[in-house]
Amino acid sequence: MAFMSRTPARQGVAGNRVRIAAGIAVSVIFLFPVFWMVLTSFKHQVDIFTNPPKFLFSPTLETYVEYMTRADINKRLANTIIVAFGSGVFSLLVGAMAGYALARVRIKGAATFGLLILLSRGVPPIALAVPMFLVARKLGLTDKHITLILAYSTFLVPYVMWLMRSFFVSLPRELEESAMIDGCSRYGAFFKIIVPISLPGLISTMIFSMILAWEELLFALVLTNRHATTMPVAIAGIAGDTINGANWAALTAVGTITVVPVVIFALLVQKWLIKGLADGATKG
Amino acid sequence: MGTVQIRNARKAYGAVEVLHGISIDIEDGEFVALVGPSGCGKSTLLRMIAGLEDITGGDILIADRVVNNVAPKDRDIAMVFQNYALYPHMNVRDNMGFALRQRRVPKPEIAERVSAAARILGLEALLDRKPRQLSGGQRQRVAMGRAIVRDPNVFLFDEPLSNLDAKLRVQMRSEIKELHQRLNTTTIYVTHDQIEAMTLADRVVVMNGGVIEQMGPPLELYDRPASLFVAAFIGSPPMNFLSGRLAEGDILLMADGTRLRLPVGDPKRRSEVTVGVRPEHFAVAETGWPAVVSVVEPTGSETQITARIAGQTIRVLVRGRFSAPPETVIHLQVAPEHVHIFDPAPLPDLAELEDVA
Repeated sequence: MAFMSRTPARQGVAGNRVRIAAGIAVSVIFLFPVFWMVLTSFKHQVDIFTNPPKFLFSPTLETYVEYMTRADINKRLANTIIVAFGSGVFSLLVGAMAGYALARVRIKGAATFGLLILLSRGVPPIALAVPMFLVARKLGLTDKHITLILAYSTFLVPYVMWLMRSFFVSLPRELEESAMIDGCSRYGAFFKIIVPISLPGLISTMIFSMILAWEELLFALVLTNRHATTMPVAIAGIAGDTINGANWAALTAVGTITVVPVVIFALLVQKWLIKGLADGATKG
Repeated sequence: MGTVQIRNARKAYGAVEVLHGISIDIEDGEFVALVGPSGCGKSTLLRMIAGLEDITGGDILIADRVVNNVAPKDRDIAMVFQNYALYPHMNVRDNMGFALRQRRVPKPEIAERVSAAARILGLEALLDRKPRQLSGGQRQRVAMGRAIVRDPNVFLFDEPLSNLDAKLRVQMRSEIKELHQRLNTTTIYVTHDQIEAMTLADRVVVMNGGVIEQMGPPLELYDRPASLFVAAFIGSPPMNFLSGRLAEGDILLMADGTRLRLPVGDPKRRSEVTVGVRPEHFAVAETGWPAVVSVVEPTGSETQITARIAGQTIRVLVRGRFSAPPETVIHLQVAPEHVHIFDPAPLPDLAELEDVA
């Protein structure tokens, strides 16, 4: 089908080398802070503060052992997984269906409505966090996973909706019409035809949503305090605890612990991620 | 029974009415072609029959049942789209069996019906392929297979050959005709190509601007076009038109004073008229209308002559050989039954009609 075709780019060998060099340069700039974080997490406190910084030192797993055996850190890691997965799935379900409606259903003002939902993302999260906290307290929902999942949906659903809308718009309308003549309802056509075709797009969108939820700090900070707290809150706690000076080893070790699952996850799903991104690119 | 009745069907988008009361009675087993320029409402009408567009006014009946508010899936119709709309994630077998699976037909029966349809269309070797692994003609055939597996009351075709190249289009055209002769299922076929309509249909409905200009068997439209629009639209190469004033019942008085005696008069008409003659109905003779040759194009079996009568360009098609140097004056004769007299009206833009794809 046309929307799956790609044109291979033609380029010379010299052009290729320049591209590779540029790619490496950009990667170094982006990855150096991560590298430095990982490096620091293996250092003893004395090595961290040496000036100039040392690249060669005797590594230690001391900080990792300390923090990975702490129940609160493990609990927070579990919370982060639950919240990221829950809000990823929930926002995909709601956002994809909303995006489909925006792409297909002819209602007056649908475009305006869609735009309004998108504009809601322009509201600074801090302006929402406090009212959200008040509402959650009234409902007795503070410090619960579901609270964070719902809170994250406020920015994930518009995101998913707009990404998926442009994806669905690029699919020919006749696919669903044909399915509807063949015996499907509108919902049947969506789930049996559109969803399977859109799987790469849906999955890559969900992965991005999960990563956004994984790293979210502000809402987690305001809406949770003990049971449902996530990793970013834990990092913020360590960073804010400066009574004995900044605990860089702990900060970088917990930071690394937070990043590693995302990297593993991204590697596992990279086939989908790349396919989804490329599809989006060729479809405009 | 696969009858379709369209009774005064109207369609409006907001305040804009695009179909102004269409009525057609289609018999069981009939092949009807809806033809007209783009924007004439033919596809909209087909989509209303399919249930993909709401009906603003009037009624549509399929098998004697009013279907105005019946969902597409419950109308017992099958449709072939211009872009085929094959499900890209399913192989040919699953594409063809999809509608039957939706209807919970037992698996062995699905397999049987799919392979029967595949045999008819020569798709047996392709059953395990995905649509993207097929050529345009094969996709077209799968789309038809998906329709015939259903054994529906009515087949709807929406410009099914427009995406194919010219050669394949002719081949698929005769395959569709053969299929209809074999299955005898009521068929409604939308096209902008009058040749397709003429060659396929038992009855052609010519539409223009949301109304029916004329409907009838193909040759009736060809022989007795009811309007200038139909006369210009049906037939290839198109009919010639000469405009002037009708005088003394049978004299066409043209702008530069040329007088052409028509073999047939129309005493009822007086003033401005347009006279139409098909290129193949002219005969070169010793006497008759004088015409100045501009170009002679022999193709072997026939010869096409481009000439001018009183400055108006005409085309003449004669069987066999003919040669004359440019600027020669020849004389043309027409049999009375081949002269068409119309009220003057703006001619449809044929160039536009031909390259809509």
